[in-house]
Amino acid sequence: MNSIIVFALINMFGVLGTFLLTALTGHLSFGQASFMSIGAYVSGLLALKWGLPFPISLLGGLIAAAMSALLIGLPTLKLHKYFFALITFGFGTAVAALLNHFTNITGGAMGLSNIPCKTNFLLVVISIIITIGLIRNFVKSNYGRMCIALRNDEIASEAIGINVYKTKLLVFVLSAIITSYGGVLYGSFVTYVEPGMFGWTKSTEWVIYVFVGGVNSLTGAVVAGFILNILPELLRFVSNWRIFIYSLFILIIFNFRPEGLFGEYEISFSMFNNVYKNLFSKLNHRN
Amino acid sequence: MQHIVNGFSLGAVYALIAVGFALIYNILKFANFAHGGVMVISAYFGYFLSKNFHTSLFTTLIITTLFGGLCAVIVELIAFHKIRHNNSPLIYYFVSSLVITLMIENLIAIFKGATSYAYPVFFKETSFLFGETVISYVNTLIFIISSVILIILMWLIKYTKFGIALRAISFNLGVSKLMGINADGVIIITFFISGLLAGASGMFLGISYTVYPQLARIVVKGWIATVIGGMGSISGAVIGAFALGLFEVFLISNIGSSLSTVFIFLITLGFLFLRPQGIAGEIFTEKA
Repeated sequence: MNSIIVFALINMFGVLGTFLLTALTGHLSFGQASFMSIGAYVSGLLALKWGLPFPISLLGGLIAAAMSALLIGLPTLKLHKYFFALITFGFGTAVAALLNHFTNITGGAMGLSNIPCKTNFLLVVISIIITIGLIRNFVKSNYGRMCIALRNDEIASEAIGINVYKTKLLVFVLSAIITSYGGVLYGSFVTYVEPGMFGWTKSTEWVIYVFVGGVNSLTGAVVAGFILNILPELLRFVSNWRIFIYSLFILIIFNFRPEGLFGEYEISFSMFNNVYKNLFSKLNHRN
Repeated sequence: MQHIVNGFSLGAVYALIAVGFALIYNILKFANFAHGGVMVISAYFGYFLSKNFHTSLFTTLIITTLFGGLCAVIVELIAFHKIRHNNSPLIYYFVSSLVITLMIENLIAIFKGATSYAYPVFFKETSFLFGETVISYVNTLIFIISSVILIILMWLIKYTKFGIALRAISFNLGVSKLMGINADGVIIITFFISGLLAGASGMFLGISYTVYPQLARIVVKGWIATVIGGMGSISGAVIGAFALGLFEVFLISNIGSSLSTVFIFLITLGFLFLRPQGIAGEIFTEKA
């Protein structure tokens, strides 16, 4: 049970990265999962081949992911969303093909094993809480508002002086870094990675989680990401049918509640305050 | 020479996929991943049809394409109809089509397992020699049938009333509704036609390779071809598909299939960098 929760939380990094990209700028990335594999592989290789300590190999993984995000972001983010989606798809398959091809470095289809185990439950929980906090602040910051503006209308937001290209690039690199952080944690938790684990379907699943939760709600993404990650494990008894059931569930949500489960609802501290105030005023009124 | 022949027959299949893809793109402006799902389900359908009833190539082809068309219409009704009436953002269509493909892949894996099936052989002699190149009957037939289908489609779009309605809707959905075009009907017919193409291409892919659940992912090749050709342009998609087919055969024979995906990715990236408007040359921007 413990490891199920850790896996769900590690996947949550991917969901958060996707949330940042898809919910804020409206771009779809089908190669998001390969940032996770880049993080896991680079940090694992640094630790294995050169024996670097965990913080440095972690940094290496993050930098590698940020660099590759820059490489695909630079030419494609100037263009329409569909080109971006296509290129990220190609990027995902290309990363998997490269990992499979260079057997002497990455271990090929056999995967990379014996990565030093440096992650525990506590580290994952603390990092996910910090990441959620950071993303919440990002959404409320100047950049977050710029992103929401450009998601709704790129031309109009350019007209009011937002540098659309630069903002999109920033968000994409940021989402890659968050996802690859999850990858680094994954690699050092399981001590084993293989190329097939982070394919196209994984990235698609993350996009779906974000949409189920509601694109306008971070709370929605977090809750839906967590529940839908746990759900397949709980549905083991219908093992074959679980992906089917869950796609059906998603189609129903899309058809009948297109704004997602949570809509624009967010859990926040001020909410509790309001509840308290309301109660109080009602009591006063009665008196 | 051998590569050129193989490349053309692969390109013809890609052209079928790409045109089916571009058709939907034209009217609803989204990349229809569910095309892959329809493709794979009709590939399976064709396989079991020819396996169990020993139908000839042409009967199988006709029934399979009709089946594909039917599937595409069902997909439209399940996945896109409501979204269209809600006026949801385009990204919803995209995600919905992805979900449909995942669902079909999964259903097939449940009922038929993840194993691959090979189509029965339709001809006694598989190939003939032309000079020094080996040309297989099936590949020639695939090339001819695909070309015929594409030519008929071009005629349909260019000269019939339906084609004019289609182009009007592709230009502006709202205004064409105001002009009295039955948009729902045209959209459903377009889905049917794209399903026909998906059925044919699924069966051809099944004949050229084998039938397995992940066949749906070849739809990405159709997508790349439409991007190379210029989004939404149908003749551009055909040219892009042939270029891609030739190129892929060339790459596989020279550097092996494992690295060819990497090269295709790099070349698509470079192409977008240098000429984002595609071969057809229409600059693609979002309308405000």
